[in-house]
Amino acid sequence: MSVKSALAAALALACVMAAGHAVAAPPTAVPPEDRLLPVELYTTDKAKTLGATHRGALRALNATIYHCMPWVETQKHSIGFFRPKNTTGDDRYLSIRIFIEQDPSPEFARFRVEERASAMFSRYVGAMLRRMTKDPAVAADATLDGFTVILEWMKQVPRGAGDRPVHETIAIFIEKSVAVDYLAGAIPITEVAAKARVLGFDGETPLGPLRVAVWDDNFVSTFKVSNYVLEPGVTCG
Amino acid sequence: MRSVRLRWLLVGGALLAVAGCATGEEWATWKAHPTHFASGEHMFFSVRNSEGSPPRVTRQDIALARDEGWWGKPITVSQEQILER
Repeated sequence: MSVKSALAAALALACVMAAGHAVAAPPTAVPPEDRLLPVELYTTDKAKTLGATHRGALRALNATIYHCMPWVETQKHSIGFFRPKNTTGDDRYLSIRIFIEQDPSPEFARFRVEERASAMFSRYVGAMLRRMTKDPAVAADATLDGFTVILEWMKQVPRGAGDRPVHETIAIFIEKSVAVDYLAGAIPITEVAAKARVLGFDGETPLGPLRVAVWDDNFVSTFKVSNYVLEPGVTCG
Repeated sequence: MRSVRLRWLLVGGALLAVAGCATGEEWATWKAHPTHFASGEHMFFSVRNSEGSPPRVTRQDIALARDEGWWGKPITVSQEQILER
């Protein structure tokens, strides 16, 4: 075999391999199960019952965010029925924590922290409430007391070797009756914000309650990642 | 000896050709900079289109890009400061 014919054979083999690659079924991306808090890690029977009863709904929520909002990352063990810190009793809120991936922007950084919190609240809280209650059995569960949405984004990139990025976080606690009214169209998102408790954090430092001024924002339902292709069989409503 | 050289040539040529199909400068750029946040209003993933067909971005591509482009362990509030199990 000459070098010329060897090259021709190599090219032919490459084309066969490439063609095989193109027709082969694409690997299916599966949302990581560890985003859900395992039932055995809850500390009360009420929470364990909620976690076990609505496991399917939480899995569906995880999958929806994973496939349909690929620019956000759900944090490990962050989907579940948690109790807001420092509350009395065993109030259980369906909670989720997402990291919103974005490059730091000088324009965004120039906003006051309340303005950044307002922008993120406007963009994500209504959208998350709708996804968290897609299974009507969740909101209908009499033992559920509310919803927590935790939003986190990068405030500052590392400025030098050895530096770590700093995240800004807001935690929004919403009583169930308020969320239900909003989802039924009885109250606007501005009223949700007025009745919600919003806590801010700069890195690890608590900023205390934040006052937010919000608006209707359809970003989540209109934004598309360029050239993003959904996995076969996945639909986003 | 000659047949061994030819075999290496075959394998090398095939790998090069397949790699050329699957990656490229645009993909490397995209994976290095998977996100963009413009003017404080619109976030979007920036994918530089190549000359041919537009690139397809799958969920696995995003997961890989996120892993490769990770900034490092962030300074952030712990879940335990906000919620109890």
